[in-house]
Amino acid sequence: MKRKLLRAPLCLAAAAILLPALVWAGGTQEKKPEQILLKMGDNLPDRTGTWGAVVEQINAEFIKEHPNVKIETESYPDQPYQQKMKLYATSGQLPDVFKYWSFSTLLKPLVDAKLVAELNLADFKGLNYLAGALESNMYYGKLWGIPVSGDLWVVYYNKRLFEQAGVSVPEASDQVLAMIPKFEAQGLIPMSTDGKDSWPLCITWDNIIGRLTGDYSVIQAALDRKMKFTDPPFVQAAKILQDMVRARLFQADLVTSDYGAARNLFGQEKAAMYLMGSWELGLVTDQNFPESFRDNLSVFKFPVIKGGKGSRDDLVAWFGGNYVVNANSKYKNLGLQYLKFYASRFPALIWDKQAAVPAQRVQPTPKDTELARSLLQIAADAKLSSGTPSLDRSTPAFKEDEQKFVRDLAALVLSPEQFAKQLDASAETAAKQ
Amino acid sequence: MTAQGLRNRRTAGRIILYTFLVLFALLQLFPLVWLFNYSLSTSGELFGPELLKPPQSVQWINYAKAWTDGRIPMYLMNSLIIVSISVACSTLFAFFIGYACTRMVWRLRLLVFNVVMIGMIVPIHTTLLPNFVWFKVFGLLNTRIGLTIPYIAFTLSFNTLMFSGMLRGLPRSVEESAWIEGAGLGTMLFEVVAPMVTPAFATVGIMTFLTNWNEFIMANTFLASEKLRTIPFSVIRFEGEYASQYAVQFACMALAALPAIVLYFVFNKWIIAGVTAGAVKG
Amino acid sequence: MGPGPALEDGPGDPLIADMAMRSLFSNKKAIFLLILPGLAVILFSIAAPVILSVYYSLTEWAGFGKLTIVGLQNYRNILLTDRTFWLSLFNALVLMVITIFIQNPIAFILAAILTKVKKLSRFFRTVYFVPAIISVVVITKLWVNIFNPTYGLLNKILKGLGLQTLTAAWLSDPGTALFAVIFIMIWYGFGWALLFYYSGLVTVPKDLEEAGIIDGASPLQLYTRVIIPCILPVIQAVLIIDVISCLKQMEIVYLSTAGAPGDRTQFIANYLYIKAFTYSQYGYGNAISVLFVIVAVLLTVLTRRLTWQSPDVD
Repeated sequence: MKRKLLRAPLCLAAAAILLPALVWAGGTQEKKPEQILLKMGDNLPDRTGTWGAVVEQINAEFIKEHPNVKIETESYPDQPYQQKMKLYATSGQLPDVFKYWSFSTLLKPLVDAKLVAELNLADFKGLNYLAGALESNMYYGKLWGIPVSGDLWVVYYNKRLFEQAGVSVPEASDQVLAMIPKFEAQGLIPMSTDGKDSWPLCITWDNIIGRLTGDYSVIQAALDRKMKFTDPPFVQAAKILQDMVRARLFQADLVTSDYGAARNLFGQEKAAMYLMGSWELGLVTDQNFPESFRDNLSVFKFPVIKGGKGSRDDLVAWFGGNYVVNANSKYKNLGLQYLKFYASRFPALIWDKQAAVPAQRVQPTPKDTELARSLLQIAADAKLSSGTPSLDRSTPAFKEDEQKFVRDLAALVLSPEQFAKQLDASAETAAKQ
Repeated sequence: MTAQGLRNRRTAGRIILYTFLVLFALLQLFPLVWLFNYSLSTSGELFGPELLKPPQSVQWINYAKAWTDGRIPMYLMNSLIIVSISVACSTLFAFFIGYACTRMVWRLRLLVFNVVMIGMIVPIHTTLLPNFVWFKVFGLLNTRIGLTIPYIAFTLSFNTLMFSGMLRGLPRSVEESAWIEGAGLGTMLFEVVAPMVTPAFATVGIMTFLTNWNEFIMANTFLASEKLRTIPFSVIRFEGEYASQYAVQFACMALAALPAIVLYFVFNKWIIAGVTAGAVKG
Repeated sequence: MGPGPALEDGPGDPLIADMAMRSLFSNKKAIFLLILPGLAVILFSIAAPVILSVYYSLTEWAGFGKLTIVGLQNYRNILLTDRTFWLSLFNALVLMVITIFIQNPIAFILAAILTKVKKLSRFFRTVYFVPAIISVVVITKLWVNIFNPTYGLLNKILKGLGLQTLTAAWLSDPGTALFAVIFIMIWYGFGWALLFYYSGLVTVPKDLEEAGIIDGASPLQLYTRVIIPCILPVIQAVLIIDVISCLKQMEIVYLSTAGAPGDRTQFIANYLYIKAFTYSQYGYGNAISVLFVIVAVLLTVLTRRLTWQSPDVD
């Protein structure tokens, strides 16, 4: 009798212990597939601004489709970001997926060090990439990253200020020079650009070379040492650039005027023109600038050089920013899925925000600003495309040298001949590496 | 020259002197005023033609944005933890080394002192990559302590200099009587000597604080996670790819400068006294 | 400056006569415990990377990927062919000269004035130190703004005074750029110099000064013959700190001109940073660092020798 009575509580006690244990053990087994933490990196610290907000939205949508995934992004401004990524490359701690650049100065060293994963070209072929976009991310015949934005070199201008000074859109270089006194009479700076960081000036130099020769491939030829930078087109282009500075086309403190300062000179209507890339289509919605500026914003193609062989539709265009997957990531496949997802969502979202010209074809929508439509038109009109700018086609040392020499050229410290000689010496060193 | 004439001359001289001093003071205060002014404007107004333009409409929202989007509460907490610990440790360690090198007798005294002084000469940027690799081995990357250690190291040299200067001038008699009364090392240090060099503690403390509070490059190198970041990172959150929200950045910087200014005002008297003794006998 | 002669180590030491007491002050274990924490931290995060840095300076390396040992090639290149290195060293020396012969005297005179001013002295002292508390980013942004040729205050004032011809693109013009950058640097460091000199002047014994006045010394003689010799240790301290910080200048250059135009404003700490991280010539950048440390040590020793005070001044 007693045993029977004892059995029940014993069984209950056993159950009370075993059951939760089973549930706990079973629970851990039945628990959802492990929480995956996907580490990312980009150069967009501002997550409320346009591009950053788009990435946040894409991430949120991706997580909805992959509920066991958490995304953690490390963001810094451009320069600190590049340095951090280089540090991570040293210690093998690169994020799983990160934003980078397709240039041979940045992506190629990672490829050579086997730090980025190879991508399957077939996966991305059907996603409407513009001509040259995927190619710009290929080394050794393989694809290593997906391009995100298409960058074109253009001239923005303020229609109201043009009217005020009594000038019309220039088509050739002599017209540009003739405009200068008219703007100065109005107390305006004719054209502003970022001289401190120098790369806009380097790209402009490329553009002038193209306008002179009608052929951008001479740049690569010089880097491959089939030509020299001391050859006539390069020296002449340097001279033209320096003459533009001497003629007071740009702001007086060009070489120490940084990106923000140059942009603001234009936005605050102190400068009539702004020499920059297509990514600035967001100017038209920037609330920091007066309405009179935003309502009068337009863009025109880089003028031809009088006597040169290039036409206005020979575009300096390249695909810089890209996304890559860490070759040693634990979640390579997930990373690849993310890239495909990004590629499918990015163009529409970024165009909707009018924040950049994506590397994939977009349909113009009725709510596009005139500026956006003009930029699409310029891209569509292009007969020739330059590809990666000269400064990013070689080694990091060559890039720094070119930036330095071009800046010194603009600062009137170097003559065009001296500039060409020094640049050529740098190219010679770079070619040997 | 009458007595009145002499007095007039002196008064005139005084007025000129004070005017000059006040003008100079205005010049020195100007950056703060400038910072505060533009922190209340819109970003575009910063590039206007006027140096100091009262904002068209006062944008208190910049401070709200700085506080929320700039993650200031979280970053502030991290800064307080990391900087306070580095101040406490650096001060204490400098005191110890200063005492050992000035008051104690041993052969390698001068050598150790000079090794510590070398720390002042080494530029931080040289140590970034090697430390990054080296700290990873010890699992110190992306930790608060991993940032605190270099913060202590780079301020230790100057602090030791300050302490040794002040300690050198102390009369031996106090330590002697303390020893006679049976004081051990601990008591000697903390109950006898430390109170005699309190100004040095204040000086060293505030100087270490100021140095580490605005430090960015090492924080950028050794920290990765959002939740560990320090105050200087609040500014970069408003750095766009091509354009930044300058006004909000200014608000961040104003908020970051606030603790430093408060501390400096509060401890000012001690700082002067500390520098006095440290530099004079140093 | 240093641990100094406060403690003698000899048997006739009048300060530590008692052998037993001496044992406390030469207790090896105690000494070890005292220096251990600080020394450990310094060895760990400064000495170790410097040694690694010396190793890297003998290599050609981008910071990741292939590393090749090239021996002293980097040093040879820097010392023999690198114009920028010598120019940035030269710029640091120019900064030193201006700091020592212009900024310091002004700070000294102002400090002297403040010791004589009774009222509001503390107010002025605190206000004068304010720029030193604010982040260098703000200070640099402000002065870049003031120096702006189009809308900056400086050119505006000059135009207003009718001195149109004196206006310039202060930070971009090769002729003026270095001095504009140096101006920002000495203005930023002014607060510290003032603080040090004031603190030193305050300790000059009143009777010493009064004795000088009674002896009929003019103000100039008073300062040069009596007061300055009295605070020579302070001056020496300030000079050494000046020398080191002039060499270490980096942020202001980075944020204002980045070395332009044509390296006219390049400073050595900035140069080694961009060589290592932006040019991806990590080995080369490290070689510059090693040379930097050597130069700094030499200059420190030189400064000490030049401002040596005879031991009997106390």
